[in-house]
Amino acid sequence: MTADLSILSLVSMYALMLIPLAIFFHLQLGLIRDTLLAIGRMTVQLLLVGLYLNYIFQLNNPFVSLLWVAIMLVAANLSILKKAGMKRGLFFWRSLAGVAGSTLFVSGWFILVAIRPEPAYDARYMVPIVGMILGNCLRSNVLSLERFYSGIRKSENEFMTYLLLGATLREATRPYLRDAIRAAVNPSIATIATMGIVSLPGMMTGQILGGAMPMEAIKYQIGIMACIFTAMVVASLMNILLSLPVAFDDHQRLRQDIFTM
Amino acid sequence: MIKFENITLKVHRQTLLDDATLQIADGDKVVVRGASGCGKSSLLKCMVGALPTTSGSVRVDGLELSADTVAEIRARIAFIGQEPVLGAEKVCDALLLPFHFKAHCGKKPSDERIFQLLERLHLSSNILDKPSKRISGGEKQRIAVIRALLLNKTIFLADEITSALDPESKAAVMAELFRPEITLLSVSHDPDWVNACTHVVKIQNAKLQEISRQRAQETQGKEVLSSLRSFAANKNNGDEHDS
Repeated sequence: MTADLSILSLVSMYALMLIPLAIFFHLQLGLIRDTLLAIGRMTVQLLLVGLYLNYIFQLNNPFVSLLWVAIMLVAANLSILKKAGMKRGLFFWRSLAGVAGSTLFVSGWFILVAIRPEPAYDARYMVPIVGMILGNCLRSNVLSLERFYSGIRKSENEFMTYLLLGATLREATRPYLRDAIRAAVNPSIATIATMGIVSLPGMMTGQILGGAMPMEAIKYQIGIMACIFTAMVVASLMNILLSLPVAFDDHQRLRQDIFTM
Repeated sequence: MIKFENITLKVHRQTLLDDATLQIADGDKVVVRGASGCGKSSLLKCMVGALPTTSGSVRVDGLELSADTVAEIRARIAFIGQEPVLGAEKVCDALLLPFHFKAHCGKKPSDERIFQLLERLHLSSNILDKPSKRISGGEKQRIAVIRALLLNKTIFLADEITSALDPESKAAVMAELFRPEITLLSVSHDPDWVNACTHVVKIQNAKLQEISRQRAQETQGKEVLSSLRSFAANKNNGDEHDS
């Protein structure tokens, strides 16, 4: 079992953050307020999640766990659209379908095919695994959506040239789709390639700190990386493809009223 | 036959065309003139559905531009801009780009036809291996013309396409585009180009006005064309020319 951190220990960890705050102050970066706010938010959010997860794990009810998963999916989806600068009202359901479809598919695969817990809906597996996959999908989806639409906006003439040369909407958007998927997955490929050498991944570290044997932790880590990578690629692709019918008008022109900025 | 009927076109809240009407018969060569920013390029763009019109209709060969017909209309029209986008890293890939799309799949032109057109437009075959970014504006314009000719289009929209061309290359491009079977709607400030056109249309106060119907001056136009063609032919060292 992990050695429990006392309140005093936790205070000492907060104290550690005085170092970056002092650096911000010295360099006059103007980040102190934002950092303090972020730390405050993190503390409250994690406290609430800790209490809630405690409750969910004790209850271990599939419907309550699924409700929590649904809340995570909706929150992630809203965050993706906000950060990618897309209007939520236009893309909410399509984006949710892309993110939820890919996340639930790979999570289900990992839990039901690889881990096979008893019961299958065990909240201790379902909630953290979906959360981990979703967190990574969020980042890749923001990157891919933003890159895809900014690419077309920047190269409006090029995009129209493809259409005028006889390309369908799918054909004309393919170069931008390639760029977007590349931008979304390249950082992950680099992370996967250096895993274990440059960094010890969070899940594995957590398991080792929790008392698991390193070899056991490694197997889980490989599993979760496979899930994260698959979900990221599928969600990025699905999100872009599902957004096309809304983002372009009936003459295949990119609508300008779909962006928030 | 191209018809603009009662077109109103607004770009960034500015009315560029207001209830404008224009009819272009098959084989006509029309040049649109007007002050900078008056909507000449926008007129060309709205014809292929690249810009939305507020009201009115655009008809090409009887087909009214709409969501159902836009692909078919685009397939009939070649649009060449002042700074053409080649859309591929290498020039040869740019030339063959449309033939990778479903619409033109299986219609890939022969190498012979490509070399023939390169020669007619005063381009060396070495250009095919060059990166698209490394070629000059004039070369890009001619590559875009060749690409349109390879697609056997008969309606050309040309927006200042001779702006970066030397006199010989301009003559070669004009010899290709001023053939009788080609319908041409263009924007140009080039006097040779304007003189060779059969109709000159001016955008003034958001209206389209035909300022000179050059059929009356057809002889003059033919003379200009004839001299341009012989100029191009001479530069090709007596190579056979089917224009």
